[in-house]
Amino acid sequence: MDKRKTVGRLLTLWVILTLNFALPRLMPGDPFLHMSGESGDVFTTYTREQADYYRHYYGLDEPLIRQYGHYWWGMIKGDLGYSYAFKQPVSEMILRRLPWTLLITTGALLLSLAAGTLLGAWSAWKGSRWQDSLFYTGFMVISEIPAFLVGLALLVTLAAGKNWFPLSGAKTHFMVYENWWQQMGDIGRHAVLPILTLGLTRTGGIYLLVRNSLRTVLTKDYIRTAKAKGLRHRILMVHHALRNAMIPLVTRVAMQLGTLMGGAVLAENVFQYPGLGTLMSRAVTARDFPLLQGVFLVMTLGVLSANWLADWLYQQVDPRLKKNHARRQKGGVS
Amino acid sequence: MRWQLRWTSINNAIRWFTLPGKLALLVFCLLVFMAVAAPWIATHSPYRSAGPALSPPSQDHWMGTDQLGLDVWAMILYGARTSLLIGMGTALLAGLGGGVAGIIAGWYGGWIDRLLMRMVDILMAIPRLPAMIVLAAFFGAGMKQMVLVLSLFSWAAPARTLRGTTLSLKEQPYIRMAAHHGAGLLHMLGRHLIPEMMPLLLISMIRLSGRAIVAEASLAFLGLGDPTSRSWGLIINHAVNFRGIYLTPYWQWWLFYPWLFLTLLVTSLALVGRDLETLADPRMRSR
Repeated sequence: MDKRKTVGRLLTLWVILTLNFALPRLMPGDPFLHMSGESGDVFTTYTREQADYYRHYYGLDEPLIRQYGHYWWGMIKGDLGYSYAFKQPVSEMILRRLPWTLLITTGALLLSLAAGTLLGAWSAWKGSRWQDSLFYTGFMVISEIPAFLVGLALLVTLAAGKNWFPLSGAKTHFMVYENWWQQMGDIGRHAVLPILTLGLTRTGGIYLLVRNSLRTVLTKDYIRTAKAKGLRHRILMVHHALRNAMIPLVTRVAMQLGTLMGGAVLAENVFQYPGLGTLMSRAVTARDFPLLQGVFLVMTLGVLSANWLADWLYQQVDPRLKKNHARRQKGGVS
Repeated sequence: MRWQLRWTSINNAIRWFTLPGKLALLVFCLLVFMAVAAPWIATHSPYRSAGPALSPPSQDHWMGTDQLGLDVWAMILYGARTSLLIGMGTALLAGLGGGVAGIIAGWYGGWIDRLLMRMVDILMAIPRLPAMIVLAAFFGAGMKQMVLVLSLFSWAAPARTLRGTTLSLKEQPYIRMAAHHGAGLLHMLGRHLIPEMMPLLLISMIRLSGRAIVAEASLAFLGLGDPTSRSWGLIINHAVNFRGIYLTPYWQWWLFYPWLFLTLLVTSLALVGRDLETLADPRMRSR
């Protein structure tokens, strides 16, 4: 793998971890005395006891170098700190909620990939001019609208209006499941709207990319050759055109993982879905900084590692890169 | 003369807009008017209780009131100010800052280019919204802090775009000739670079302001907003946190109107930006 890139990644990692260390120490004035957060309907001020606790917690009475050393040692051990408001280790709280966030983000990713590719391909091959421009405008607008507005619209129409889906949560409270299927069904029903919300906001970008790159690919010489060979239409389209058009998709999806994470935070808060996003907003409401930073760190590390994985995947998928170690072509065929 | 020239070019540009683009421009102008004329259009104060709590739309409160009896229409009007100010502030700060950074990186190259582009790469790798949540939680969520936090995470895109353009402009014969004659960066900027890049920078700034408005609304929705200012996201936050709002009719005005106006603003900005982009595209291609 590219050496320059590895250096860049390690640098990114270091910057993020150091920023995370610096934030509570950069706050103007004495952070824990003057901070009085107001958020929603909850009003919190720090008592002297809490302020002393935080000062001791962050080790603000020690020299900076030693604080930094302690911080790194904690990070290496996987210790994300202790939540004051919830009286629990941060890493445990995060681990308990991580599966839910993973469920809706992967669900939304798969949904948007499938829908975006299908619609994009359809638009490039069959769509008439006005259908194409309708789809194009529609998807472009939807991908600009923040996830919580889309989520609220779905919530009001499909859950509150029609009662098709539950309003909030990830499963029915106090429900005793008779069998495995029932449990899966309940969890699935609760996950539909968050996944739909997040998937809808992400489909637009994928649709546009597939449509545009497919149009470019269709003008290439090898497509003409394949046509001249008398290949059947479906084989030509799927094996020759779509496969090549989808290569830049890997990079695009990887680049948008951060946005996906941001969307998940919003969608979870609309549906009160018990993932990392709602944990984050609870940390904000309670002004629980260790918890807030822990969630942020896990989200960022998750996005970064997924990015690296996607890069590796890209090199496996694109035969041009495997063969002659050519310079990475940004954006692929388009 | 110059002004006249510009006016006709704006006129020409609008003529090239698609129908949705024209409609979007109209909606956008209307929203700007609402924001500017808020004190004269509003029938009640957005800061004081103006009637019974949670009353449905009526003659007096034609978008109803919230749980404190605040007039929703007044809050919508003043909320437009918040959204537009934040959008403009961020677009100016991040657009100009990022633009200058990009031009410097492209013009000088070398270590300063490497440093700036490293920073851009790092910024682009961090998930934006979670990072902004953390920063806003630490540094407070007043208007100024909000613009700063948003700009911090927005300058990367215009920096990258303008660096690319600077790099390609640098190779143009007339620029090289000017540099050969000893023109410095400042002269170059004022005389050649900025006029060439203005359309690009403007489009970039429109996109930035759209993103900033969305980000501000998202943060306010999560409860990270200036509680003394009026913001659409904050109204939504209050409405959503009202216990059992979906089981009552209250959402039909308290939640619906801020939702509608936010959607209108974001959509219109996106459509206008798209049309401007296609307008600028042939120019970029011909280069």
